[in-house]
Amino acid sequence: MATLNLQNITKSFGASQVLKGIDLAIKDKEFVVFVGPSGCGKSTLLRIVAGLEEATSGAIVIEGTDVSALAPVDRGISMVFQSYALYPHLTVFENIAFPLRVQKLPETEVKSKVAKAAEILQLTEKLQLKPGQLSGGQRQRVAIGRSIVRNPKIFLFDEPLSNLDAALRGDMRVELSQLHRDLAATMIYVTHDQVEAMTMAHRIVVLNAGKVEQFGTPMELYHHPATRFVATFIGQPNMNLVPAKVLGYDTRGLAVELDGGAQLTLPVDGAAAKKGDRIEVGMRPENIHLGQGLSMKVRVLERLGGTSITYGHMDNGQRFCAALPGDADVAEGQTVDLSINPADCHVFDASGAVLRRLMAPALAA
Amino acid sequence: MLMDRYNIWQKIGIYAAILVFLTFILLPFVEMFRTSLSPMSHLFHSPYEFWTTEFSFQAYHDMWIKVPLLGRYILNSIYVATMVTVLTMIFVIPAAYAYARLEFPFKSISLGAFLAVNMFTGAVLLIPLYRVMQTLSLLNTYWSMIIPGVAFLIPTGIWLLRGYLEKIPRELEEAAFVDGASRIYTLRRVVLPLAVPGLIVVGVSVFIGAYAQQYLFAITFNQVREYQPLAAGLFEFIGYQSVEWNQMMAAALTGILPVIIVFLFLQKYLVAGLTAGAVKE
Repeated sequence: MATLNLQNITKSFGASQVLKGIDLAIKDKEFVVFVGPSGCGKSTLLRIVAGLEEATSGAIVIEGTDVSALAPVDRGISMVFQSYALYPHLTVFENIAFPLRVQKLPETEVKSKVAKAAEILQLTEKLQLKPGQLSGGQRQRVAIGRSIVRNPKIFLFDEPLSNLDAALRGDMRVELSQLHRDLAATMIYVTHDQVEAMTMAHRIVVLNAGKVEQFGTPMELYHHPATRFVATFIGQPNMNLVPAKVLGYDTRGLAVELDGGAQLTLPVDGAAAKKGDRIEVGMRPENIHLGQGLSMKVRVLERLGGTSITYGHMDNGQRFCAALPGDADVAEGQTVDLSINPADCHVFDASGAVLRRLMAPALAA
Repeated sequence: MLMDRYNIWQKIGIYAAILVFLTFILLPFVEMFRTSLSPMSHLFHSPYEFWTTEFSFQAYHDMWIKVPLLGRYILNSIYVATMVTVLTMIFVIPAAYAYARLEFPFKSISLGAFLAVNMFTGAVLLIPLYRVMQTLSLLNTYWSMIIPGVAFLIPTGIWLLRGYLEKIPRELEEAAFVDGASRIYTLRRVVLPLAVPGLIVVGVSVFIGAYAQQYLFAITFNQVREYQPLAAGLFEFIGYQSVEWNQMMAAALTGILPVIIVFLFLQKYLVAGLTAGAVKE
């Protein structure tokens, strides 16, 4: 179907620059998710790709053609909106048929295309109903139906699941992944929900303050976050960041002393680090287990069954979180001794950039 | 809802206020109706008597004889008001949509100017308007009543409808735009069908406005008896010798009957339309 290249896209609203030079190359048939906190510019970027907003500068290239000056329909994209944007006065059939009516296709063709879309989305029974008579998930499917009916090259989704309840959202995630496989189309999906991003994306674009922090596969982002921002944004509960000081660097790795006293030798590429540099050591709660070396006073304990998540602080007041086994023998108010495999640690320099891990899991290659 | 629950004294207060208000509004109509039922001899009876055994609908019969063109006047009123409404809507719909959705220079200034125009009643502009009508050779035609009517009602129409169109979610139009629909297509197939309650509100208020204001233009710009609307035609009940008050009131009530009927049918839209978008649904 189609590739999409964004070349140095910027966007300013008055004096405030919301996109600061975005460069992305999205491959054919790829499912790419734009993720980031509110206000990071992800929706604006999607609207620029859609042609609903004009970029202040930069080019949008679809299948080798610069489409920056074209209307949405001529770009070969279609879009599913957060609110679904269904026309309440039209039936499901007419809602799905809307783009075809705009094209003034003959009635028989409209009927067969709508019927095909309805079949894919299991809406055949609902075609004569009005959107108001449908459930949230069905409305969502109608919105998708309207977007697939005219066979676009690229599908754009703007937070399409955020209006659904949690259970339905899980189902729709699976359905969307399935749909992507069935249609074999390029899809771009905007969300603020990292679970949606991790589960559906081939590759994720993490946006922060109008810039791309990292563009990579979910496992790359998880195991090799490029910056401290990505590291804390991806993963649940959030990564612990413990301030530390560089003691030295040799073949075994970077020797550091955590604020609080513990010393670790971390297998990261620390060639650029100098003795005495201030750094931060990132430890994912799920990598921490009961052991020796780190101690934490538990303030809040959340037992989820499979895991027990403890929130509290270390001796020096550093906030800390650990995901321990479900049956771990801990209690609120208690001090527990913990440890972490040095290979699981992430190290960030003072600017927030990562020092590359040398012993990361094979999956992240 | 709990907050809608009133105690007995609050209820008495509310109903008492409604009673005062309705009395104030409706008393003239009651008096009109009473006058229309009374024989002339009774109307000037002293002392004043509210009730009599002589009430009859005789005036509703006599008025057609006394003023043979009465039916025509009523139809003229409806015709002029309808034409004003249709023409006003033709201008108001695209204008209101433009004000609701497009960005253009002097947008808020021109919108304010429309409101300012409303501060001039037709009366202060009668002489210039007369000259305009004269120049365009429109005096003594229906158009002399229709055109000024349209001109004075467009501003309010734009304000009313713009507020309504702004409440229609922008995403619906964006979705249509992404699917290749033009502005006009979107207006026709998406915006207007959703704005029907708003269109009814604006249409009805324009109609009522047109019905009420045509008197001034009729007596100034039109000398042709056959074109006069009801309000001007009522003058014919004022004779050289006497005024047939009972027939005049009967004719006035008969004349506003069509408007009242339209109102009754559309009032649910009016209430819904005037408060639309006030709360999230």
